[in-house]
Amino acid sequence: MATGQENLLDAVVVPQEHQNLRKQLALAVKGIQWSYAIFWSISSRQPGVLEWGDGYYNGDIKTRKTTQAVEFDADHLGLQRTEQLRELYDSLSTAETNPQARRPSAALSPEDLTDAEWLPGRTLANNKTIWLHNAHYADSKVFTRSLLAKTLVCFPCLGGVVELGISELVLEDPKVIQHMKASFLDIPYQMRTSKCFSEAARIEKDFVCPKLDQDIMEYSLDPVVECEDVNLHSPNDGSNGFELKLEEPIMFEGASQVQSWQFNDDECSNCVQTSMSSSDCISQAALSPEKDVPVIPSEPKENNSCLVDLQECSHTTLASFDSRKNDIHYQSVLSTLFKTSHPLVIGPGFQNSNNVSCFISWKKGGMSGRQIAKRGTPQRLLKKVLFEVAQMHGKSLLKSREAYERLEKLSRPEPDDLETYHVLSERRRREKINDRFSVLGSLVPSAGKVPISQFFTLSFKSEDIILMKFLAVFVQVDKVSLLDGTIEYLKELEGRVKKLESSKEGGEMEVRTQRKPHDVAERTSDNYGNDKIGNSKKPLVNKRKACDIDETEAETNQVLTKDDSLTDDLTVSVIDRNVLVEIRCPWKEGLLLEIMDATSKLHLDSHSVQTSSVDGILSLTIRAKVWTFSTDFLLPGYT
Amino acid sequence: MENSTQESHLRSENSATYDSPFPLYAMAFSSTPPTPNHHRRVALGSFIEDYNNRVDVVSFDEETLTLKPNPSLSFDHPYPPTKLMFHPNPAASLRRASATDLLASSGDFLRLYEVRDSSIEPLSVLNNSKTSEFCAPLTSFDWNEVEPRRIGTSSIDTTCTIWDVERGVVETQLIAHDKEVHDIAWGEAGVFASVSADGSVRIFDLRDKEHSTIIYESPQPDTPLLRLAWNKQDLRYMATILMDSNKVVILDIRSPTMPVAELERHRGSVNAIAWAPLSCRHICSGGDDAQALIWELPTVAGPNGIDPMSMYSAGSEINQLQWSAAQPEWIAIAFSNKMQLLKV
Repeated sequence: MATGQENLLDAVVVPQEHQNLRKQLALAVKGIQWSYAIFWSISSRQPGVLEWGDGYYNGDIKTRKTTQAVEFDADHLGLQRTEQLRELYDSLSTAETNPQARRPSAALSPEDLTDAEWLPGRTLANNKTIWLHNAHYADSKVFTRSLLAKTLVCFPCLGGVVELGISELVLEDPKVIQHMKASFLDIPYQMRTSKCFSEAARIEKDFVCPKLDQDIMEYSLDPVVECEDVNLHSPNDGSNGFELKLEEPIMFEGASQVQSWQFNDDECSNCVQTSMSSSDCISQAALSPEKDVPVIPSEPKENNSCLVDLQECSHTTLASFDSRKNDIHYQSVLSTLFKTSHPLVIGPGFQNSNNVSCFISWKKGGMSGRQIAKRGTPQRLLKKVLFEVAQMHGKSLLKSREAYERLEKLSRPEPDDLETYHVLSERRRREKINDRFSVLGSLVPSAGKVPISQFFTLSFKSEDIILMKFLAVFVQVDKVSLLDGTIEYLKELEGRVKKLESSKEGGEMEVRTQRKPHDVAERTSDNYGNDKIGNSKKPLVNKRKACDIDETEAETNQVLTKDDSLTDDLTVSVIDRNVLVEIRCPWKEGLLLEIMDATSKLHLDSHSVQTSSVDGILSLTIRAKVWTFSTDFLLPGYT
Repeated sequence: MENSTQESHLRSENSATYDSPFPLYAMAFSSTPPTPNHHRRVALGSFIEDYNNRVDVVSFDEETLTLKPNPSLSFDHPYPPTKLMFHPNPAASLRRASATDLLASSGDFLRLYEVRDSSIEPLSVLNNSKTSEFCAPLTSFDWNEVEPRRIGTSSIDTTCTIWDVERGVVETQLIAHDKEVHDIAWGEAGVFASVSADGSVRIFDLRDKEHSTIIYESPQPDTPLLRLAWNKQDLRYMATILMDSNKVVILDIRSPTMPVAELERHRGSVNAIAWAPLSCRHICSGGDDAQALIWELPTVAGPNGIDPMSMYSAGSEINQLQWSAAQPEWIAIAFSNKMQLLKV
């Protein structure tokens, strides 16, 4: 998606800019009737790299006056070489920003490159015009454009480099550059011409050597001094040639110049050819002018034109002398920030005098050292927007909840409605969760009770928080404490289990003997509970119980039959919980009392007792209800 | 109001200030490129704790660096708008004439306005409740850049609503959180994320509405999350801010629950965050300490935390901050009743 956006931007922004640039180039080239013009801009993606800005071909391909020729030429034929170049530039730029990685590891070392290829780069580095004859002698494989041009001119412009070529040998002519600049820029350049010209270094290809490069570097290191010098020497007229001029400024600039050069050298102390390393940091920093560089709106005055030029070339002074790595870093960051915008946005945009960022580099403790006073509520407005604006909307929040609930209820009957489906299912899920939580809460003793103090520390400090918010917090806290309680409870239970297990090892016999009564007691309590609650499971349980009781009865009967000798007649029938006891036995004094005593011991709740005595034989019928079972039940009959 | 030392030596060439008669909160840049006829538009919403609030559309002249109000481009808004946003991609909506721009606001409802050359016409009021005149108040919304017919709103009723604004109908409504939803941000055409008072950041995919992915939960239980910003240049990253916290929490959706970075150099709580529109590694934040900080996310964080790259001091608490793709070289901040455009 990101690329989609970039593409979009490219599609929208870049063409406009490109169109303008191309038109300007076309106009300029046609104006001087040279073969082609290329604008190399400082790459915004990779600081320190000169990249193809735009070009225009005005040459001999008679039928096609098109930019394609040049673009193809530069972009495709020279692709491989360009790649290598780029790699080298890259490694140089990394070397600059990252002191650890000083050694460039590119396939090409700076020395391998022909001077022709360095032209645009060097032009930028030195910020001066370079006029190259006999370019066609350069290796055409290496320097593809040599096929096109015998004479090459490069001059810095608009934060980039303009390269001009013509298929004839043309002697150095300041007018050409003047014309180009004039048509290329809208800034008046009256004084510029002589200056540019005086700066222009005419370089015979074979003549170039690293030493010279260094000299050029030194020459351009301090543009302020340089410009003054140039003004002084402009009467001399630059057409005198290169060597002469080169000597003079160096002498004029004196010690300070040398010093600063030394400094620069130290900084870029990698073994890269100095001219390039500095060009590198220059181009990297070129995007944002220094604060101390005077920025004066261009006026057609003599003095100012120098400054205008200074402004344009201010990137030369720039960070190359600035030991603050932060700033250099910041420049590269800026280029990252605008990576998709057209280079020109950075180039001239930053020259438009409104080029200084509002932001200053961050320092620990801050620049002002101002203490931030505690001002009431933090995030006051943001909180108001989020928490209070809701309340403002006429109806209260509670109403909104109600309305929401209503909406839900009403939309419930139409589950086919896709959008409400999710709402409903989510709702159900949460209801279920809440159900389970309440079940859990009922199982765990003393969970779900939140100390009020805890509740308030978790709530919001601002006093204007709505009731619902409190409730929501409360519910949430409730859940948390419930879970806490559950965890505690489980731990406790685990502890008990362990205890029991250890005691089990100690006294297995004891446990065994305890077993039966325990079982029975359990059953009893079960029964009792069921009796009372009367839920839907009751019948089933009762059946089972009845069964049990029947068995017990059978047992009892067995017992009783054993005791037959003792009693004349005894029948006990138990149906459900009702017990019917019929006894026939010889009457004796106090017998009835004894029997009633026994029944009560058996936990039989007798509700009717019928007695009759015929011939000294007592017939007794007791209807009773069992209200608890105990082993005593198995020990009937005193009779 | 205290004037910062920086302001005094700020040249006017790299900033523009607009003084509103009202305190400002909501703010939005138009995506429509400026033409000779009209400059870049910026919509400003007042924050008055009352029914009567204003939305003013001012124009920003990049040449003269002035912000001019346009009396005809102004309208009343019931209570303060919680967010304003222009149509993110006006070129994509074919049925609109090029002279018009769409502006959306959130508050009691999601409202759409048509911004013409010399007037603003209300277009629609979108209420997600079918049965009632009333819709739960909206805390924020986001306009889908890839699919501009979609707007997602976040509400205090724990839901997010996805609108099809072209048809004016609800596409879907999801219960997104356990508590109030405070902010919403689109990632892709059908993927959005939201933050809530329940302290979580969740990602939703409209293709599978049954599930959401929690990618972050605030450390103390229930520290509400207030704002969310999704890095449009690198969708792996998003940033959120917590209540009463000076932290900007940077999240990588590939490593849920563990933030990749916490930016803690503000000396007050953070109020607003915005990713750089054209860079995936930069983010700007504004806070109660009146500072706007630009951060560069390092590939490897140092042991002492991350220092911001650069800073700007405003006159008072920065309440709002916008860094628009329409004007990547300008960061807009709002503090008290001022709106300021700062050159990056």
